[in-house]
Parts: sequence; C-alpha cells; structure tokens
Amino acid sequence: MNIKESIESVQKSFRADSDPFPNDSQSIEDLRIKYLGRRGLVADLFSGMKDVPVEGRPLAGKLLNELKQEIGSAFDAQVDLSKSGAPNKGESDYSLPGLSFPIGHIHPLQQIMDDIKSIFMDIGFSVAYGPEIDDDFHNFSALNFPPEHPARDMQDTFFIDPKTVLRTHTSNVQIHLMEEKDPPLRYIIPGRVYRNEAISFKSYCLFHQVEGLYVDKFVSFADQKGILEYFVKRMFGSDTKMRFRPSYFPFTEPSAEVDIWSEKRGQWLEILGCGMVDPEVFKSVDIDSNDWHGFAFGMGVERICMLKYGIDDIRLLYQGDMRFLEQF
Amino acid sequence: MRISIDWLKEFVKIPSSTQEVADLLTMLGLEAEETYDTTQLTDIVIGEVKAKDIHPNADKLSLCQIFDGKNELPVVCGAPNVDVGQKIAFAPVGSILPEGIKIGKAKIRGEVSNGMICSESELGISQEHDGIMVLKENAKAGTPFVQYILENAASIELDITPNRPDCFSHIGVARDLSVKMSTPLSSPNYNPRIYKKNEVKDMISIEFENTDECPRYVAGVVQNVEVGPSPDWLKNRLESIGQRSINNIVDISNFVLMEMGHPTHMFDYDKFESKSLLIRRGKNGEKITTLDEIERKISPEQLMITNEEKPVAIAGIMGGLDSAVTFDTTTVLIESAYFDAPTIRKGAKSLGMSTDASKRFERGADPNGAKNAYWRVVQLLEEVAGGDWVPGIVDPYPKVITQNPIVLTRKKLDLLTGCDIDDSFVIHTLNGLGCNINGKSDKWICTPPTWRPDLEREVDLIEEVLRVYGYDNVPSKYHYNGVMEGHNPDPHKGLAHIISVLTGLGFTQLFNNSLQSNRQVSLLDIPSVKILNPLSDNMNQLRTSIIQGLLKTADFNIKNGTSDLMLFEWGNVFEQKEPGLEGIVEKFHLSGIIHGAIHQKSIHRSIGRLSSIFVLKGLIKTFLARIKIHDIVFHPDTDNEFGFENALSVHTQGDVIGYIGDISNNIIDGMNLDIAKSFGFQFDLNKILLLSEREIKYRPIINFPIVDRDLNFVINESTAVGEVISAIEKNGKAILKSVNPYSIFRDESVGSTKKAVAINLRFQSSTKTLEDKDVNSVINEIIRVVSKIFSAKLR
Repeated sequence: MNIKESIESVQKSFRADSDPFPNDSQSIEDLRIKYLGRRGLVADLFSGMKDVPVEGRPLAGKLLNELKQEIGSAFDAQVDLSKSGAPNKGESDYSLPGLSFPIGHIHPLQQIMDDIKSIFMDIGFSVAYGPEIDDDFHNFSALNFPPEHPARDMQDTFFIDPKTVLRTHTSNVQIHLMEEKDPPLRYIIPGRVYRNEAISFKSYCLFHQVEGLYVDKFVSFADQKGILEYFVKRMFGSDTKMRFRPSYFPFTEPSAEVDIWSEKRGQWLEILGCGMVDPEVFKSVDIDSNDWHGFAFGMGVERICMLKYGIDDIRLLYQGDMRFLEQF
Repeated sequence: MRISIDWLKEFVKIPSSTQEVADLLTMLGLEAEETYDTTQLTDIVIGEVKAKDIHPNADKLSLCQIFDGKNELPVVCGAPNVDVGQKIAFAPVGSILPEGIKIGKAKIRGEVSNGMICSESELGISQEHDGIMVLKENAKAGTPFVQYILENAASIELDITPNRPDCFSHIGVARDLSVKMSTPLSSPNYNPRIYKKNEVKDMISIEFENTDECPRYVAGVVQNVEVGPSPDWLKNRLESIGQRSINNIVDISNFVLMEMGHPTHMFDYDKFESKSLLIRRGKNGEKITTLDEIERKISPEQLMITNEEKPVAIAGIMGGLDSAVTFDTTTVLIESAYFDAPTIRKGAKSLGMSTDASKRFERGADPNGAKNAYWRVVQLLEEVAGGDWVPGIVDPYPKVITQNPIVLTRKKLDLLTGCDIDDSFVIHTLNGLGCNINGKSDKWICTPPTWRPDLEREVDLIEEVLRVYGYDNVPSKYHYNGVMEGHNPDPHKGLAHIISVLTGLGFTQLFNNSLQSNRQVSLLDIPSVKILNPLSDNMNQLRTSIIQGLLKTADFNIKNGTSDLMLFEWGNVFEQKEPGLEGIVEKFHLSGIIHGAIHQKSIHRSIGRLSSIFVLKGLIKTFLARIKIHDIVFHPDTDNEFGFENALSVHTQGDVIGYIGDISNNIIDGMNLDIAKSFGFQFDLNKILLLSEREIKYRPIINFPIVDRDLNFVINESTAVGEVISAIEKNGKAILKSVNPYSIFRDESVGSTKKAVAINLRFQSSTKTLEDKDVNSVINEIIRVVSKIFSAKLR
C-alpha cells in the first residue's frame, strides 16, 4: 500500500467511525486518541513519510495535512456543541423526549411462578420437572386413582390413546421423583397441565401448577400447616387470614384445602390443595409408609395470578394482547 | 347435594343461623357452596289465595283475590299451579324482588293487578320457575315471608367429595354435625315389620347372573295403593331442596333417597309378565325406554333388571317407562338393592347418564341401608298412599358385606397429626361416626360402618379424627427437619436470567396455547401428537413449534393497533417420532419473532429502524453473550424444519443450538395472517441452559498495544463476506483479535460483478509489543489466502 492509499484508508475509516459522531465523552475521547493521539493513525502516517520517495512527499504531505485538518475540525465542531450544552447534534431543548428503546415485559404468570419458586427455595425446596404427556400409571393409578374411580371425574382428561394422557396435574412428577430417588425428598414441581374443559372466562384447556412434595421420617400435618402458612403469608402478605378445611384427594389422606379471606369480596377463596401423602401412593413407588411420611400440595398459578393482579378473565393470560402484557 | 335446614333439624339440634351451619359443615369437609340468601326478601309477605277466576281476556292467566292479612287485592297470575286456599309468597305494590325488579300497580290485559305471586326463582331461593311457590298450610297470611323461609326452606348447597357417599343424604350430614357438636342423633323410622308368613315370596323371585355385580336385592310389595298428589309435608320437603313433586309413590322413593341416601325404585307390579326377575348383563341390540322417555341402546356394559327376557330397568341408573308407576297403578313392587360401584359407574358412563341413583351407587351405597330403606318405604307407602303391605321381604344376599376391622395406633396418630388428641376425643368421634371401637390407646381396633366404604385404613380413621378435631386446632410447626441435597436445586435456574435478558432487550414474553389445529401444525413437516378427545378441531393436536403461536399473537396485536413487536415464549413442543408414548419426544424450546420497527422515527432519529435479519442477528448475539455464550457462528442452513427462509443455524462449540431466519410466507399465508415481513429465532432451551452455566475463567488483561490495520478486498459479488471473514480468522495466527467489515463499495471502477469490502483487523500479542514485521507477515499470509480462495484483489 502506498502512502496515498494509506491516507485514503485512514480517511475512510474515520468517516465510518464518526457517522454518527459518538455522543458520550468517553467515546469521543477514544476516537480522538485513535486518530489524533500521540500514537494515533495520523501520527503513524506522518512517521511513514520518511519512507516516501522524495518526489512524492509534497503531494503526500498535502493530503496528510488535509486529513489532519478534516479530522481536527470534526472534533472542534463537536466540542463546540458540547460547550453550548447540546445533548445531541443541534438540540438544546431539554423538554424534548429522550430516545425511545423497546421495552420488554415479563408475563404475569412467569412472575407469579418465579415468586412461588423462590419462596419455597428459600426454605430448602428443590425444583423438579417432568413430561407433559405421560402414561395412566404416573398420572392416575400410582396416585391412587384406580380405573373407574369417581375421582377421575374430578379432572376432565385429554387422551392421546387410552393409556396415555396429557397430564392433568404435575403430580405425575411426584411419582417419577419417588421412583428415581430415595427419601428424604423435598421438591416443588412447576409445570403446564391440561384439562378437557370448555374455555370460558374462568377456565382454560390448560393451566400451570406448582406442586410440592416433602417426604421424611417425621413429617406431620402440623409441619404442613407451618410450611404452607409461611408460603401464604409471604405470597399474600403477613396479615392474610387463612384456613385449612378438610377435603378429598385420592393421593392424600388426610386432605385439606387452603382458603384465604378476601375482605374485598367478603368471602373465602380457595388457593391450594394439600394433604398427607396417601400410603397407597407410597406403595406404588415401593416406599415403606411405616417408615416414611410426607405431605404434598398443589396450587394453580393462574388462580393466584388472577387474585393478586385482579384479573377477571383467564383467557387474557393466553391471548398475548400487548395492551394487557405491557401492564406487567 | 342440597340440604334443607328444617329437614336436618329432624335428626340433630343445630345452630339457628344457616350461615353458622354452613361454616360448620365446610370445616368438616362438606363444603357449603351456596346458602340461599333471604335477606333481600323483607318486602315479601305471606298471602292467601281467596278466589281464582279465569282472566276474561287470556285463557292462560288467572285473576286471583289475594288476602295480605288486611285487604283482599286483585292479582293477575300466570302460573298453572295457583289455586284457591294456597298460602303463597306475595310481593305487594312497591316491593323490590332480589333481582331488583320493583313491583308496580299494573293493568294486565285490561285487569288491575295489585302485586305479584312469586315463584322460587323470582325469590332467588332456587332455580324453580315452573310455578309459584306454595307454602305450608299453617303459614299465616300477613306475616313476613322471611320468617317463614328461615323456618321452613332455608337450605345449603353442599359440594360432596367422591369419598363421602353417605353425605348424599340428610341423615349423613346430620351425623357429621352431631359428632362435631356432641349432640345426639335421631334416626328415621325404619324398623322392620314383624310377619308370620313371608307371603311376598309367592309374588316375587329374584335370580342373579353374577352376585358380585348385585350383592343384594331387597324387594317387597305393597298393594292397593292410591296414586295421587303427595301431601303438603312431603311436597314441601322435596321442594325445599329443589326437587319437584311428581306423585306420592315417586315422591316417597325420592324422599327416602334424600333422607337416608339409599336409592329405591318403584315398579308397577301388574306390568310384569311373571313373578321372576333376573339380574343380568345387557345384551347388544337390547333397548329400553327409560323413565325420561328416551330410548336407550343397551350393551353388556350395563347391568339390567329383566322380567321374562324383557329389560325393565337399568340397574342402579334408571327404571324403564313400561313398568313405571302411573296413576292407574295399584300394586307397587319396591326395589331396594345394592349394586357394585364400578359396575354401575361403567354402565352409566357408557350411556352418558348420571342420575341421583347412579351417583350414589357408583360412589358406594350402604348394603345394609338397602334393607332400612325398604322398611322406610313400606311405612311411608302405608302412611301416604294408603297401601297394604304384603307381609314379608325378598332379600337374596348370599355374601354378607362387612367392613374389616382396622388397627389405629396412638403412635401413628401422633406422628401424622403432629398434635396431641385425647383418647376420649378419638373414641367419641369414631363412635359417633358409627364405628365400633375396642382396645386401648396404644392400639384400638375399629370397625367402620358399612355406610362408610371410604374407611379402609388407619390413615382414613386418622383423617376422621382430625377433621372433627378441626384442622384449625392443629398447631402450625415452624421448625422442621431439613433435607440438603448437593445438586443444583433448580435445573431451570438459568431461565429467569434468560427471560430477564430478553425482556431487557425489548422482547415481551408470551404464554400461548399448546393445543393447535391441523392447519397450524401441518405447516411444518414434523409429525405431531394428536389428541383422541379434543375440545374442538381447532385444538386437536399438540404444537410442534412455538413459532405459529407467536405469529398468531402478532397478527392479533397488529389488528389491535400494535405492529412493532418483539415477542418470545419458552415451553414444550411435541413430536410423534414413533407410535406410542415411547415415540413421543418433548422438546424444550425458546422461540421469538420480531416485526415492524425496532426504533421509531423521532426527533433524534429522522428515520426509524425496521426489523431485519441483521437486527435479529445482532440481538441474538447480544442475548447469547449476555448469558455467557460468546463463541457463536452463524451458518446458512437451508435444511431447517422450522419454517424459516434464508435460515442461519447458530453454532457454538461445534453444536447447533438454534436457528434464525425470515419467517416463511408459507406459514404466514397458511395461517391466513396479515403479517408483512417478520424474523424469528428458535433455540433448544436445554442446550442453552447448560451452556449458560459455564464457569467463567479470568484471563489476564493484556497491556500491549493494539495494532489496527485495514484491508480493502475486491471480491466477486457472489462471494459471501462472512466466508472471507472466516478465512481471515483462520489465518490470523494467535495475534488477530477481531475482524470487522465496515464498508462495501460497488462502482463501475470496481467492476460490475464485483464489490470492494473494507475490513478492519486488530492485532495484539499477549507477550510483547507487536512490530510491523510481526503484523505484516500475518497480513501477507491473509492476503495470499483470501486472494487465492476468493480470487480477490487488494484495492
């Protein structure tokens, strides 16, 4: 490359670097050093002059000076602007809006799911995941839903084939966990579950659940109350009024449902189901229920999300309407 | 199950406030869903129908005279059941009904009407709207209706869980209350009659095909009954829980069902061709018209009651119309059977039927209750329908069903409940629930009653004790034994960070339906998992990609006025690789799309910036770098199956982790969307999560100067700049730090099929200050190689 080409190359490079001209002082300084610094590109070119044949020097010198002037005045112009206080080329009206950048939003379900996870992880629960499509054994039989049992009617099920279902709860992962690991176990299991229910403002064909499972030698109903109270108070506030009332689930005995009191609505609202792991469940995964005890619980993320944010139509959560999502 | 407060009072003393009873039941596990609210009925008074004439101008209306305690007022009424002498709920002029309707003085078809006679639904106390609500005879005209309703018709709707068939009855609910409140429980009268000769045996004989399916069949006959309307007390009982009165015989059966929970059936004995009944499985091709006048096709799924080959009832589900009681019936055959729960359940399910009877049998009726119900029906038939009981009872019951004794230990009770419950409380509770209990505190032997088929194990008894003790009385423990595990406590730990980086870059997160239509799924050539019983054809298979859902959402938002979109979603997608569950692959994906402008035009930018593949490429590079995946390479990839055109696969460490590209028009047109140009990405989320867990290793900072050099190559228009960059990188030795093309120049002077690409190269050594000769030798090699491979020339 001869000197002329070198000069053109630096010129081109500067024009690229200075369009747009950087608008923070650090970048301006970097740019200045790169071209006008003691060891900058312009200085390089000057020091290269000594290798230029004598007859070429006047022209080369002229070009080089022009370049230096061009670069220098570009900086001067910017410095002048900075002195006059302009944030950007030409504008000094601080009442103008700033540059706009795209804003992303985390889905409300994600926020609630993350909250639930972190509360339980704070008190030593691990997290497990499992398949959304599973066999009858893991979704029903092992959880003490015998075939033809009326409890199966509690959950309308999508079938892939007569023995394969879209899981109706994340409890299938409880079974996988206990098959794979020996107790003690302390897990929560978030995930997507499916119910064959007509879509309306209050139900959707799928939703998200967080289940919990705690198995150890000495785990009692009283421990379950303590842990779930801790959860409810952190999730809904320390002055939340709550109650445990008896209920029925095939996979727990005794079973309970947890309600919280809504002052606004003047009624109890159901937020989660729980209970002591049924011995039949332990039996199906070869855990001796004489030695091991535990409790399990499950909650709907949508329900908690709707309660917390005052959302009255579950379909909003799956519609992807930006006018909804940008509120979160 | 709707429970009448007044009816409950026959069996147990209960608190006066309906709400209090509802709360007690809820806390016993019998969830009160709704108590019928009567507080808005203060304007309503009891009236008496003094006269009734046909409206002169409308056949279907009646012109009544209503006595409201002071005056007789003319009232027009449209209900067919209004009659002289009735006590009714009267809404006078000026009163407001629960739905907010204000009663005014009206002229209906020319006749003055000073008020309204109300139906239950108008009063908001039930769904019944076929006729006016008829009150008990002893109701006093002019007194407030609220008073009456509180005393007579207050009811609670209970949501009975499947394990409590005994609570599908007033006596069952009363029993729980009596135990909870420690008050005595009275039973309905179902004392057996004494007889000398079992005469009914000559009238009826029962045979079974399989006694496992019908372990017990109690039958008997009452003659000379007079079928007619039920007396008011019976009507009121049924109406107070939302049941309609039909005739006295049917009402008795329903009454016993609601009182004791045991289904019975009344046949017209004279409609049988012979005295023998056979209980057998249905046969293919058999048909029966049931009481609801629907012809049912029978199969071996159903258990049938048959007479001379002819089905007369679907066992435990519904009786046949041909043998039903009519107003001509004089001799009634009472059936009070006990059927096997799974048999009835399967039968009802395959017919798509659910009746009051099947609901109880499939959850487990009481085999001993069958006999009690029989005696109760006999007693009521005589009392209400004037019948004569044929002495005797037919009761084949070859294998008597008993409950097995259960051992309950103090140790397990304490361990499971975590609290201290007295012996006396345990005994009181279990006794009160009908269990027979022996032994001492460390080991009780407890035999549950046959009406509690759900009590089979020690834990079942513990639940009973705890539920009556009150869950709220169990202390909460805040100290528990810990479990510590060494492994990663959350395999998706990095997901929160990924979401936060993407939203920080401007992407909004979506949750879309994983159920899609064939139309959506078939746009990609990935075999999908199909649902056997979909909600609709629009949702009959599982998504094979997240992209379609994102596009659909984009389309929705564009139509609603937001067209600049950056969207992403994580979740599972499904592929049916081979038949069966083993052949289903669930893949964990992260996908997104961009559409419209990334930066809007503003005062600061005279032109906005539209999304493009380069915007996306830059976003992806930043995103990945932010989650510690730095060394990525994009390769053109025409072979992707995700519907991208001009796709690039994203490589790191020799592995493909995802794809980016233009969204293909096939997909946009195939889904009928109004989307212009959009760009998408798809990543294998498991791979990304794993890669982002990489540990960072510090590298010492290099203080030796950086040397910048620019090269300007003229290459063929068809040569990809990226390939030139790769070639430079490969030949940069250890000192080449970065390669950055900064301009492409096209001009006649360069050549019509050529382009000039200016590339900045930066060099740095980690061991010394680079001298010209160090850099030049590398530069020369780069020039040599690039010139050779791409027939490039330096400009």
